[in-house]
Amino acid sequence: MAVCIAVIAKENYPLYIRSVPTENELKFHYTVHTSLDVVDEKISAMGKALVDQRELYLGLLYPTEDYKVYGYVTNSKVKFVMVVDSSNTALRDNEIRSMFRKLHNSYTDIMCNPFYNPGDRIHSKAFDNMVTSMMMQVC
Amino acid sequence: MSVPDYMQCAEDHQTLLVVVQPIGIVPEESFFRIYKRISAVSQVNVRDSQRVLYIRYRHHYPPENNEWGDFQTHRKVVGLITITDCSSAKDWPQTFEKFHLQKEMYGSTLYDSRLFVFGLQGEIAEQPRTDVAFYPSYDECETVEKRIEDFIESLFIVLESKRLDRATDKSGDKIPLLCVPFEKKDFVGLDTDSRHYKKRCQGRMRKHVGDLCLQAGMLQDSLVHYHMAVELLRSVNDFLWLGAALEGLCSASVIYHYPGGTGGKAGTRRAQGGSLSAEAGNRHRPGALTSNGINADTSAEIGRAKNCLSPEDIIDKYKEAISYYSKYKNAGVIELEACVKAVRVLAIQKRSMEASEFLQNAVYINLRQLSEEEKIQRYSILSELYECIGFHRKSAFFKRVAAMQCVAPSIPEPGWRACYKLLLETLPGYSLSLDPKDFSKGTHRGWAAVQMRLLHELVYASRRMGNPALSVRHLSFLLQTMLDFLSDQEKKDVTQSLESYTAKCPGTMEYITLPDGLKLPPVPFTKLPIVRSVKLLNLPTSLRPHKVKSLLGQNMSTKSPFIYSPIIAHSRSEERNKKIDFQWVQGDVCEVQLMVYNPMPFELRVENMGLLTAGVEFESLPAALSLPAESGLYPVTLVGVPQTTGQITINGYHTSVFGVFSDCLLDNLPGVKTNGCTVEVIPALPRLQISTSLPRSAHTLQPSSGDEISTNVSVQLYNGETQQLIIKLENIGTEPLEKLEVTAKTVNTKEKLYGDFLSWNLEDTLSQFPLRPGKIATFTVNIKVKLDFSCQENLLQDLNDDGISVSGLPLSSPFRQVVKPRVETKPINPPEGSKAGDFSHVKTLEAILNFKYSGGPGHVEGYYRNLSLGLHVEVEPSVFFTRVSTLPATSTRQCHLLLDVFNSTEHELTISAKNNEDLILHAGECQRMAIQVDKFNFESFPESPADGTQFANAKQLEEERQQFSLILIYPSLKREGEASVEGVLNQLVLEHLQLAPLQWGDPFYDSWFGSSVCLGSLTKHLTEVLLFK
Repeated sequence: MAVCIAVIAKENYPLYIRSVPTENELKFHYTVHTSLDVVDEKISAMGKALVDQRELYLGLLYPTEDYKVYGYVTNSKVKFVMVVDSSNTALRDNEIRSMFRKLHNSYTDIMCNPFYNPGDRIHSKAFDNMVTSMMMQVC
Repeated sequence: MSVPDYMQCAEDHQTLLVVVQPIGIVPEESFFRIYKRISAVSQVNVRDSQRVLYIRYRHHYPPENNEWGDFQTHRKVVGLITITDCSSAKDWPQTFEKFHLQKEMYGSTLYDSRLFVFGLQGEIAEQPRTDVAFYPSYDECETVEKRIEDFIESLFIVLESKRLDRATDKSGDKIPLLCVPFEKKDFVGLDTDSRHYKKRCQGRMRKHVGDLCLQAGMLQDSLVHYHMAVELLRSVNDFLWLGAALEGLCSASVIYHYPGGTGGKAGTRRAQGGSLSAEAGNRHRPGALTSNGINADTSAEIGRAKNCLSPEDIIDKYKEAISYYSKYKNAGVIELEACVKAVRVLAIQKRSMEASEFLQNAVYINLRQLSEEEKIQRYSILSELYECIGFHRKSAFFKRVAAMQCVAPSIPEPGWRACYKLLLETLPGYSLSLDPKDFSKGTHRGWAAVQMRLLHELVYASRRMGNPALSVRHLSFLLQTMLDFLSDQEKKDVTQSLESYTAKCPGTMEYITLPDGLKLPPVPFTKLPIVRSVKLLNLPTSLRPHKVKSLLGQNMSTKSPFIYSPIIAHSRSEERNKKIDFQWVQGDVCEVQLMVYNPMPFELRVENMGLLTAGVEFESLPAALSLPAESGLYPVTLVGVPQTTGQITINGYHTSVFGVFSDCLLDNLPGVKTNGCTVEVIPALPRLQISTSLPRSAHTLQPSSGDEISTNVSVQLYNGETQQLIIKLENIGTEPLEKLEVTAKTVNTKEKLYGDFLSWNLEDTLSQFPLRPGKIATFTVNIKVKLDFSCQENLLQDLNDDGISVSGLPLSSPFRQVVKPRVETKPINPPEGSKAGDFSHVKTLEAILNFKYSGGPGHVEGYYRNLSLGLHVEVEPSVFFTRVSTLPATSTRQCHLLLDVFNSTEHELTISAKNNEDLILHAGECQRMAIQVDKFNFESFPESPADGTQFANAKQLEEERQQFSLILIYPSLKREGEASVEGVLNQLVLEHLQLAPLQWGDPFYDSWFGSSVCLGSLTKHLTEVLLFK
């Protein structure tokens, strides 16, 4: 279902990006990269809201012809971006939410690793597996 | 209508469209000069009213767009200005004809037109005409602006009359149906008398009047008309026109809310006259209806605030309008333009999210097949709009698409220049700067895949542009900054193409300035190879300068009076980081060692690698190196010669890799270890080279003091032999050698040495000084080896057994006993057990000759150099005194010394002693010889014979020594030496040699000798007994 999952650092550079049709990876890079504009906009709009009541899930960032891009931002401004095939109508907002939550949990696990330097690219097998499972899930 | 005007903004609804066109042949430059002057008159205060007319000038306008003029009057060309060049009256009728033809093109909509004729003088020009103006030349046309104002006023009169005409239409009259081009056939055969149709006509006319009011500067009126139109059109479901009415409402409200304007360029243009227009606008707006109260609608007066939409409503209405437009495929351009206008408004309202929705919608509006140029325009404008709403990444994306469109394969003449320019503009969107300094801090963080793609495109575009220097610069940048992200294959490809580019145009360290003023900083290859450490090396020991220590000690004065202070220690350690405690010498080759490694998966050839320095004139001697693929740390030594004195700082190094020259400064390199980069260069010193008469030795000395020895020589001598060592001193430097001091130091001495080992006379050599460069001086050193001549114990045993019974004792002097164990521990000693080994037992002596020399400017500064010569002497045994005894002589003042001499050499030996006959001794032979010696006063003889320095009277010592010395001559070798008995004299023998305090008679002497013999045999018996036991 998810065709591309990306983790983006606070400074807006990718920590992790993986897409399923690997031959057209660059396209997803562009998609995720441009989606950051919307993420930034949404975050700055949210900035006015109370911090503790903030919703981490950003919802649909923008739809393209073939894909839908969803966003999620942690309290430390790390962003998760998920690109979903727009033909997949079975996917509900709640499922997207739960996927993001799983992603967040997995990311938290990485951060707990004392050997991981925050800000480095993510090379974690566990995280990889989790992402793979999320990409496979419904397909 | 097919050509969208992407530059449109909401304010354009209030403008009058005037087309300015050249007819005939008008130089482009002149035309645009006039066009510029004309378009400066963009707002005009009309006569006595306070209303302002806004004019939009176009030099090109497609007539098919004009056909939509009824739909939105600002699309209608109402004025035409033609500019023509007419030099002779003969051409005039023809020109005038053309003007009329041009007028016909927009004929149906034109309110008025003007013809500006340049260059025509004479009769025709003097006829006053309203629609034609004559100017002698493009430079003499001061009245152009005035003419335009008059023209606009005439436009206003027509506009105002039309407005009044339409506005006052009574419902009784038949209202014509306004329609857009594609609707015309839809209404054929429709019942024109139905209520529905009438309402439709009314609604459309209201909307039209609203447009006219807006153009005529009556904002409030237009709002009222638009509201009415919306109501009418909504009731008849005339969606296209309803959309137009809504959009008109929005435009009027935008004009009201944002007098500054919403369009980017238009806004700035308006801002020039801004203060005036804003002021005028403010003044006129509230009183708009009363001041020019034609058709005053009282409802408008009351609901002024209500009529005008709030900023939020504007967007809602725009949305609604666009949704209506989207129902009509033919209104695609209208819809697109409405989207663009709405986005501009939202950008001002800073509602980026909603704006992006509008834009997203605009992207999907499918117009007919666009030409390539239109596509480029469309993408560029999308990019610009995204930039407006702060979506830089999206903007960059579209700009890049536009750039790619410029060079699409379907275009016959690809615009690489335009493509390159657009690509450069996308750089900030991809957070990429072309300055490598921004990448030097730690690991690169960014969208590497996307950035790399962009850089590749820049490289390609610049190459196709025919600017190889530019493509080399971009490619170097790609290689330098994205190295970590390139795969092995990509690295290979990139370097290959880089090499092929640099073959034509080598990469330099200069800034490349682009025509639009952008400067591309140079890209030094600090990662090819990667330098890990930089270490300045001291000169080789023999060339190191030493400071002559002044009495106070120069170092002392700079140091703190405290032995320890934490504060000073801190600063000192910091200082030490930068400063180095050795010096370099002017004119001498100095070395810097770099530890480098090659990150590439193939062999890296670095050419012309040299040092970059500051402070001192430095002649760098570049090196070329070739690093194996993915090498580990690899040491590279860069050399150079300082030409002047002072502080020299090593700033960095320069390389040439793949044809790109780079200057890498150490300050910009991350993670480089250095022991300091500043070193002092002292004035030049001479250089001394020594060569000797002796062969060089492979044997290296290990001196204790840490001095290194430049040359080692070795010589093999027989014990007791003396040899001359001739040393040639050559000045191979460029400075005269003025001073020389020689000292010697014996090292490693385990052997007992008698006499001076090395002796020399420096005077002779110094007389040849100062030594000019290239000159040679000689210096002679005498080597004299005089070791112990006593016999080894087991050898003694042998001689005892041959039955020669002589008075005398086994050599068991206290001195021997002390020496013996030390000899045994010597590792090079052959095992005690083998007798044969003892004969050929070779002893070694080692010494170091130190030459301290100085000269030239360095000498003035108090520096000197030190050169050491290692001397390795192998001492072969010559003769042994196996037994020593005495015999009384005829005089009591003299006695005979009996020596058993053993020749351990393989040569025949002649031994001569003072006052005695020569003795010839064959190899391996042992013979006894007697020498007559004078007895001497025991008092003056030292306890330990070698301790001769205690002797007060050196002359006496020498005399006494001589009588105990034997001259050894090797006839076959033509060498000679001297053997001394000193070491073998034991206590008993010494007693016999002592001058008796009293003089005894001869008989007694005999008896003493007898007893002595008895004593000898007794001892022998005793030893035998002990041995048998």
